Amino acid sequence: MNHTLELENISKSYDHFVAVDHLSFQIRRGSVYGLLGPNGAGKTSSLRMMIGITLPDSGEVRIFGEKFRRQLLMRIGYLPEERGLYRKMKLLDQLVFLAELKGVSARDAAHRAASWCGRLQLGDWMHKKVEELSKGMQQKVQFIAAILHDPDLLILDEPFAGLDPANAVVLKDVLLEQKKAGKTILFSTHRMDQVERLCDSICLINHGKAVLEGELKQIKAKYGKNNVQLEYEGDGNFLDESPLVERCNNYGNYVEVRLKPGADPQELLRLAASRARVNKFELVEPSLEEIFIDVVGAGNA
Amino acid sequence: MRNVWLIIRREYVERVRTKAFLISTLILPLFMLAVTVLPAKLAGMKAEGTRHIVVVTSRSSLGEAVKRQLTKGTEAEGAYRIEIDDRVTEGERELLRSRVSDGSLDGFLWLSDDAIASRKVTYAARETSDFIEDAGLGSALTVALMKERLAERGIAGADAENLLKDVNVETVKIQKGKESSAGGMQQFFTSFMMAFLLYFTLLVYGMAVMRSVLEEKSSRVMEVVLSSATSRQLMAGKVLGVGAVGLTQIAIWLVIAGALATPGLAASREMRAWLQLPPLTIAAFCLFFVLGYLLYSGMYAALGAMVNSEQEAQQWQFFVTLPIVVPIVMLTFVIRQPNSTISTWASMVPFFAPILMYLRIVVQTPPLWQIGLSLAVLVATIYGVLVVCSRIYRVGILMYGKRPTLPEIVKWLRYA
Repeated sequence: MNHTLELENISKSYDHFVAVDHLSFQIRRGSVYGLLGPNGAGKTSSLRMMIGITLPDSGEVRIFGEKFRRQLLMRIGYLPEERGLYRKMKLLDQLVFLAELKGVSARDAAHRAASWCGRLQLGDWMHKKVEELSKGMQQKVQFIAAILHDPDLLILDEPFAGLDPANAVVLKDVLLEQKKAGKTILFSTHRMDQVERLCDSICLINHGKAVLEGELKQIKAKYGKNNVQLEYEGDGNFLDESPLVERCNNYGNYVEVRLKPGADPQELLRLAASRARVNKFELVEPSLEEIFIDVVGAGNA
Repeated sequence: MRNVWLIIRREYVERVRTKAFLISTLILPLFMLAVTVLPAKLAGMKAEGTRHIVVVTSRSSLGEAVKRQLTKGTEAEGAYRIEIDDRVTEGERELLRSRVSDGSLDGFLWLSDDAIASRKVTYAARETSDFIEDAGLGSALTVALMKERLAERGIAGADAENLLKDVNVETVKIQKGKESSAGGMQQFFTSFMMAFLLYFTLLVYGMAVMRSVLEEKSSRVMEVVLSSATSRQLMAGKVLGVGAVGLTQIAIWLVIAGALATPGLAASREMRAWLQLPPLTIAAFCLFFVLGYLLYSGMYAALGAMVNSEQEAQQWQFFVTLPIVVPIVMLTFVIRQPNSTISTWASMVPFFAPILMYLRIVVQTPPLWQIGLSLAVLVATIYGVLVVCSRIYRVGILMYGKRPTLPEIVKWLRYA
């Protein structure tokens, strides 16, 4: 069993709106997988089908190498995009209830909840009602609820949204620790920096279709090192006219240049040296953000 | 099954723990007590102190008769101190008026011959809003006059007393050939109270289900729970959990009623009679609560799933609440004529049956085939309603934003 989760051609439509359109991908066991896409691309619809909240119209979801069965949900943790907890319920009771639904005994659940709350600085709040907690705290409670039953697969919808930087670091550490323990993590996000730092593989979806899928390293390699960061003194107008340049972002003395496919960076260096005084010339990988905008922009055009 | 049980338990424990549950459990019996026992007690209380009244009549025999009638049967102190005055003149009337005004007199009865002939006499007093006193004076005068007339015809003393004795109608209910002492008034009261309680609990707990669904939907906790349990388990757990809370509350009320009906605690004999509920009444109440609750809570759950906010829910609530209210409008009619055609057929309508069939069973047990038919129709309807409502629920809980139109809801029913 190499893949924790496999989607095979799953589709889902609501009325005449196609939310997910023949989507396929596999998630390697023990990896971190990022599901990216603009708003309304079908991320949440796809995630809902992975945990059986809705069923695909066609296609198959396979989890832990098996066709989807509800019993498998016991081994999956889910953090929905729209956070939700019982407002009037005490934090500890709530966590125990949600863990019991996942098959954990009440005693174990209380024990684990206490240790997680301690770790995420919620120890003093365990006997408070959820409505008394701040938004950030509720977010952490929600995350604990997703992970309390020690799932083998964690599905997190926008886990970093609304977290302050300190808590985002704590969450990132927990995720990496889970990965080290052999758990598989799937999360959806808009935050490209998080994806670049955490993910092994990604799937970029738009209009319910996968437009870019695979290992992050390979994707970046495929897009190649065709970006140049250039620091110079002098007139930079030559860049706009050069046939080598697809697009440039000029900040005055600093410019980010995207080369046309097949263009040789060395030629640009020679051109630049002949027109201006070059202080720095560096070939860089495209950021995921650029790829994202590129692919989604092309898809929309 | 484990999931359903966990959801029932959460729903039950979280509800029973609240102050609202405790308060509503205690408030209702107090309220019932307040609206039934207190007004009767208060109205029955005699005006404080002794009233000093002058009876003005030229016929001293009549004056004496009125005095006897008014002071008869009162305690040692007496409610009235009566003075008889035979000066039926305008001047005397003026004098009495001034005495009433300065407080040395509470009032006077002006029994001029004309007034007696026309049977319209005047009672002048400072305080005139005590209608029970008015009625008492009226009946005392009537009896006094009658006695006087009877005496004129040669009937006096014990003979006259006998003639004027009130007739008491004692209502006896015949059930299975035996007479039971439950009186008409008391039976009306008990039936009315129990039917109203049934209506009240159905409404309160139906709406509790709706609000609970709405809360889960609007707080989005629904999605977390759905990643473990199915929508069907969630709905079943919710309906059963809230229903168990309702049954608990009813059980507490029955225990309170039972306790108040014990001789030591009962405030009065009437109250005891009211609160001593026959086992059949209790069993029927619980049965029809459970059935009515299943019918309506399913509908309320679907309603809660369809809407996005309490305000939106209020606009639609009417359609679910209306069939519960109709039986309440028919309550008095059905109690008085439990076996009329209208009562019979209305109690067959599944949406009215929980309250009306219960009422008929309590008032006058209808033929078994009618009870059976009503129950069969009701159970079949519950099944149908739950199937339809669980489908609406399943789709509705994941739909946010726009309120669905009727054709859309029909479409939901066909989703796989």
